[in-house]
Amino acid sequence: MWQQMVDELPRFLSYYNLLFFAKALGVTFALSAIGCIVGFTLGFVLAAVRLSTRPALLPVRIGVQLVTELFRRIPFLVTLMLVFFIFQGLNADLSMFTVALISVCLIATAFIAEIVRSGMESVHQNQWDAAITLNFSYLQMLRLVIVPQAWKIILPPAFGFFVLFIKDTALASQIGVVELAFAGKTMNNKGFSATLVYGTVLVLYFMLSYPLARFGKYLEARLAPTRNR
Amino acid sequence: MQFDFTPVLDRLPYLIAGAWLSLQIAFLAFAFGMLIGLVGASIRAYGPNWARRVVGVYVVFFTNTPQLIQIFFIFFALPDAGVVLSPYQAVLIGMTLNAGAYLTEIQRAGFESVRRPELEAAETMGFSRIQTVRYVILPHIVRVLFPALSNQYILMTLGTSMAAVFGVEELTGRAYNINSETFRSIEVFSVAAVLYIVITLIATLSLAFVGKRFFRAKMRWF
Repeated sequence: MWQQMVDELPRFLSYYNLLFFAKALGVTFALSAIGCIVGFTLGFVLAAVRLSTRPALLPVRIGVQLVTELFRRIPFLVTLMLVFFIFQGLNADLSMFTVALISVCLIATAFIAEIVRSGMESVHQNQWDAAITLNFSYLQMLRLVIVPQAWKIILPPAFGFFVLFIKDTALASQIGVVELAFAGKTMNNKGFSATLVYGTVLVLYFMLSYPLARFGKYLEARLAPTRNR
Repeated sequence: MQFDFTPVLDRLPYLIAGAWLSLQIAFLAFAFGMLIGLVGASIRAYGPNWARRVVGVYVVFFTNTPQLIQIFFIFFALPDAGVVLSPYQAVLIGMTLNAGAYLTEIQRAGFESVRRPELEAAETMGFSRIQTVRYVILPHIVRVLFPALSNQYILMTLGTSMAAVFGVEELTGRAYNINSETFRSIEVFSVAAVLYIVITLIATLSLAFVGKRFFRAKMRWF
C-alpha cells in the first residue's frame, strides 16, 4: 500500500491536480466565509427582533423563534436537498454553488441567532432597565449598552460554531459543488488511491480549520467574562 | 408548483422505520463515544505526559476535519490496508471516533470543574474516597456536563443523516429512495425534515426533563 502511494505521488502532485485542489479549497473557504458573514449579520438581526418587546412585533417574534428553533433541528443534508429541489421547482436557474450558499446561510443564520440571543440575554436585567430609564430607543439600547457587554460572551461560541460549520460544508459535495470533498471523490474516480486522496483532503480541511480553532481558543481565554457585574 | 403528499404519506411507516435506525446509530455512536471520551478525558487529566499528548493529537485531528471525509477515509481507504467494512460499520466507526474526540473535550471540562475546596471540604467531613466520588464529584460533574452532553447528542442525531451518502437506509437514505421512486422531491424531504424535528424535539424534551429532575442541571426546555 505504501509503495503504491509513493509510486502515485509524482502523478498526483502534477500542476493541474494541485490547481484543482487549490480551487476546491477556495470554494470550501468561500462557502464557509460567506456563510459566516451572512449568518452573523442575519442572525444578529433575528436575535434583535426576537428580544424586542414591542407588542406589534409579536407575530414576527414568534415566527423568528419558530424558524431558529426548527432550522437547528434539520440536518444540513436535508436542508440542502430541500433548497435544491425548491429552486428546481421554481425553475430558477441557479448554479450549484448558489444553492449550497443559500442553504449554508440559512443554517448559519439559525444557529448564530440563537448564540447571539443567549449572549444578549446574559446581560443583566438591570442594564436593560437602566437603558429604558434613560429613555434609550431599542436600537440605542442594543448599540450602547447591550452589545458592548454581550460581544465577549457571543464571540467564543460563535467562533466554535464557525469551525464546526466549515466541516459541514463538505456535504455540499452531495449536490455537485466542486469543493474539497468533491475534489477528493473526483480524484479517487480518476484512479488515485483512496488513502492518498482522502488523506490529502483531510489535511487540507485541517489546515483550514485548525488555525481558526486555535484562534477561537485564544479568544475564549482572552475574553473570559469576569464574574462580577 | 403542485404538491402531492399522498405518495410520501403512503410510505410514512417506511420513513419512520428509517428514523428509528437514525436514532439507533446516534445512540450507539454516542454510547461508544462516551466510553472513548471517558478514557480520553481521564488520560488528559491524570495520565502520563506521552499519553496526554497522544489523546491531544487524536482530539485535535478529529475535531478539525469533517466527519464526512473521516467516514470516506474509513470506507474507501481502509480497504487498501485490507480492512473491508460495510457502509453501516464504516459510518458507525466514523461517527464513534468523531464523537469520542468531541466527548473527550466536553468531559475534560467537566473534570476540571470540580474545584479543590470541594474536595477539601469532603475530606474535612470525613468522607471516604468512595463517598467523595459518590456524593461530591459525580453529582457535580453530571450537573455541569449534562446540558453539554445532551446538546452533543442532538447534533449527533442530525449528523446521522451523513450515513445516507454511504447508502445506509436511515431516515435521509430512505428519503432518497422514495425520492427516486416517486419524484416527489420537495414533499419527501420536507416530511423527512419534519421527522427530524420531531425526533430531536422528543430527545431535547426528555433530556431536559431528566436533567432538571434528577441532576439539577441548568437547562432550557428549548
